[in-house]
Amino acid sequence: MKKVININFQGRILPIEEFAYEILKKYIDSLRDYFKNEEGCDEIINDIECRIAELCDDRLKKGAPCITQVDINLIITSIGRPADFEAQDGFEASSSSNTYSTEDTMGGNYYDNESSDKQQTKKLYRDEHNKVLGGVCSGIANYFNLDPLLVRILWIFLIGVNILGYLILWIAVPSTSVKEVGGVRKRLFRDIENKLIGGVCAGLAKYFSIQVWILRILFLIPFIRFVVNFRHLHLWQFWDAPDFPNLLDITFSPGAVFVYIVLWLVLPEAKTSADKLQMVGEKVDLNSIKNTIQTDLEGFGTRAKSWGSAQRSARREESSNHPNENKDDNASNNNKSENKGCFHFVGNILTILIKAFVYFILGILIISLLAALFGLGVAGTSLLPLRKFILEDGLQNWYMIGAIILFIWVPVIGIVTAVVRKLAGFKKANTLIRSSFWALWILGWVCIFLFFSSLSKSFSKHNIPVEKTVALANAKLNFLTVTSEPKMKYYEDHWFDITPFEKFTDEDTFYVRNLRIRITQSKTDSFEVKIIKLSNGSTKEEANKLANNINFNIIQKDSILFLDRGIGINKQDKFRNQHVIMTIAVPIGKRIKITKKGWQQFNMNVNGHGFRTERIDDIGFGNDPWDGEWKNSYDDESFSYERGVEYLMTASGLEKIGRMDLDNEVGQDDDTSDIEQQLKELKEERQKLEGDLKKSRSEKMKELEKIDRALEQKSNDQKDKKAVTNNTSVIPNLNNVSKVASKFGDLQWVMERFAY
Amino acid sequence: MDIQNTQSQMRKGVLEFCILSIIQQGEVYPSDIVEKMKLANLHILEGTLYPLLTRLKNAGLLNYRWVESISGPPRKYFVMTDEGNAAYNVLLKTWNEMADAVQLITNNANNINTLKADQAL
Repeated sequence: MKKVININFQGRILPIEEFAYEILKKYIDSLRDYFKNEEGCDEIINDIECRIAELCDDRLKKGAPCITQVDINLIITSIGRPADFEAQDGFEASSSSNTYSTEDTMGGNYYDNESSDKQQTKKLYRDEHNKVLGGVCSGIANYFNLDPLLVRILWIFLIGVNILGYLILWIAVPSTSVKEVGGVRKRLFRDIENKLIGGVCAGLAKYFSIQVWILRILFLIPFIRFVVNFRHLHLWQFWDAPDFPNLLDITFSPGAVFVYIVLWLVLPEAKTSADKLQMVGEKVDLNSIKNTIQTDLEGFGTRAKSWGSAQRSARREESSNHPNENKDDNASNNNKSENKGCFHFVGNILTILIKAFVYFILGILIISLLAALFGLGVAGTSLLPLRKFILEDGLQNWYMIGAIILFIWVPVIGIVTAVVRKLAGFKKANTLIRSSFWALWILGWVCIFLFFSSLSKSFSKHNIPVEKTVALANAKLNFLTVTSEPKMKYYEDHWFDITPFEKFTDEDTFYVRNLRIRITQSKTDSFEVKIIKLSNGSTKEEANKLANNINFNIIQKDSILFLDRGIGINKQDKFRNQHVIMTIAVPIGKRIKITKKGWQQFNMNVNGHGFRTERIDDIGFGNDPWDGEWKNSYDDESFSYERGVEYLMTASGLEKIGRMDLDNEVGQDDDTSDIEQQLKELKEERQKLEGDLKKSRSEKMKELEKIDRALEQKSNDQKDKKAVTNNTSVIPNLNNVSKVASKFGDLQWVMERFAY
Repeated sequence: MDIQNTQSQMRKGVLEFCILSIIQQGEVYPSDIVEKMKLANLHILEGTLYPLLTRLKNAGLLNYRWVESISGPPRKYFVMTDEGNAAYNVLLKTWNEMADAVQLITNNANNINTLKADQAL
């Protein structure tokens, strides 16, 4: 039963089936779209409409009661679809469509000529006849010549709850019924003209008539998350608070890249202008989406059931019959070309996967690079208030500002704009902007070079060191404790820490703790304290002056020696690596302790062997040769002590007499990580040694056996001699054992400390 | 070399020339053009013919006339203008020259080929 309507078409009254009318309408719409850029478009359409009307009239005159779908299809074939116009050798000479047709034939070689019709018809459709839900999976299966069951299983396994890809395909891919009708329904293509990677986003955007960048951002979200989730990036650690919206997470995150790849593989490129027409097509609004889904869902339950049983029976059939026999003649005829297509297709998949992988890596690289640069930029900018303490007035300031802006921020902005432009689908970068970005960045390089060269010049010279003795109020103590000044002051934590601005604004001094304390043996019976003040500068005079300006106080109260917590640096004197070496001479038989308290923030390197070396001036610019000279002139021993441990000065040097005094300290936490590290190291060392021991033991045992065997054949006298040598070879083994034992002792001690 | 492209380039000019030639013989209805072309084994879709005619008309080579039909509304018949005739003559001359030239060259090539074949024998 078909509904027939009367239409007034170009001055003729035509009775036409409603469905046929729909087809006709869509056909004319497609023509209108196709010729829309042509001069005299309306006239052409009008002429064609006239002709159609005439043909319809002829049909009616021959006695047909009304115009049917078949009639309309015949007429359409005789006049031709936009796709057929393309095939007509670019006859219609329109310059724009002409380029498309040449593009079309570019890839194909001579032999493809005959089979091009077949290949063109291979498009993705949803399979109406074998569908469970929307026919997407069976459509994909048809497309790839696979079993629909396999596709369904793969889909569920790989994409899981990610329903989004399915929905997109469901809505966008035409069903086979459309193919039969030959309508001009909107189709989803990859838009290669506006592509960034595969043109998937661009195609989707065209389809849903939204901006490209929205989709690109949607696909990027999980990507960014992926990078952000690597918490090793220090910068992101403060990004703990609100997470990305969970909704996006569920729909996109796990499979976005995968969905992209699937779409990339499955969607055809919009090559011909007919494709492009279909890509834009009629508007897709909520209503049409609803319609599609609603009609598709009709009878879903029964279909699912019947599919299950059909699947079962199909299995049975296939197992009983030879699969080849099932194929009809037509299929076997097509086999060759299909095989060829298959190879082509596998190649395509490979290239696409490789491309996807490369883009993936590239994306991560760019985002990481950006993050790193951004972090550097933030650090540099927040250090700006400190510059007056370091930089000379004038040029150096400008060098630094230039370096920060041009070297760090310019590329950040450049990369961000480039990425945004790409996402937004701008085709050509503005060469002027691009080259100016490059120029600015090169200028940034120049700035950074000038900055460091001028800065290193400011640090190039050093003062002539003078050792001064500090008078002690009471030098004849038995026990001296060295600690830092008790009063609270603001001290900068660490040189290159990022600290918020306000802490500096009202400070005109900041403190560096470039201090080394060494302990030596006193030749008299009293404690002696000596200080050497050191500084760098652009000239020797300046360095001397700066060294003299160092104000480092040492105050003795009873048996406690209070030291300043740092060397004050003001804006006039600037930081020129001022540092102090303090020597405490301890008389024999007297005890000394350097507390941990209050020193927490001092730079201190710990080595894991019970003794620690104090290396305070490692940061900054402490590696000038002169400094090394001074370091070398002292024996390392005098710097090897542990803080918070009591030492007794003996004739042979310092001797540890107390274990750690575990006074309650602020910032004990800082140490625990050190201890953990130490513990780990020790454990590893122990394991290694044990392993070595076992190995060497078994080796030695073998050796022994060998020698025993050899000895048995020799005379008794010689036997004795050999035995002696054997013993010596065992000795290193014993050494190892003792080493391990001592390590074990250390370990236990560290454990104790840690447990506390 | 892109064979398809060359083919299409070859046909493009020739088809236009053929259509002009048909119209030059007298007033004609577009579907008759298709029929005549079909007789000469040159297939053209009406969908491509109409835009071409419109273009030629806009270029001043063609004109049209409404002719009453026995049934239904009048039909659009195309006819040459003077300008169109002049253009057709130029094209005809060019075509003849070209056909001769192509004939000559391909014949030469054929002759040489047959000569070679003879020598080989």
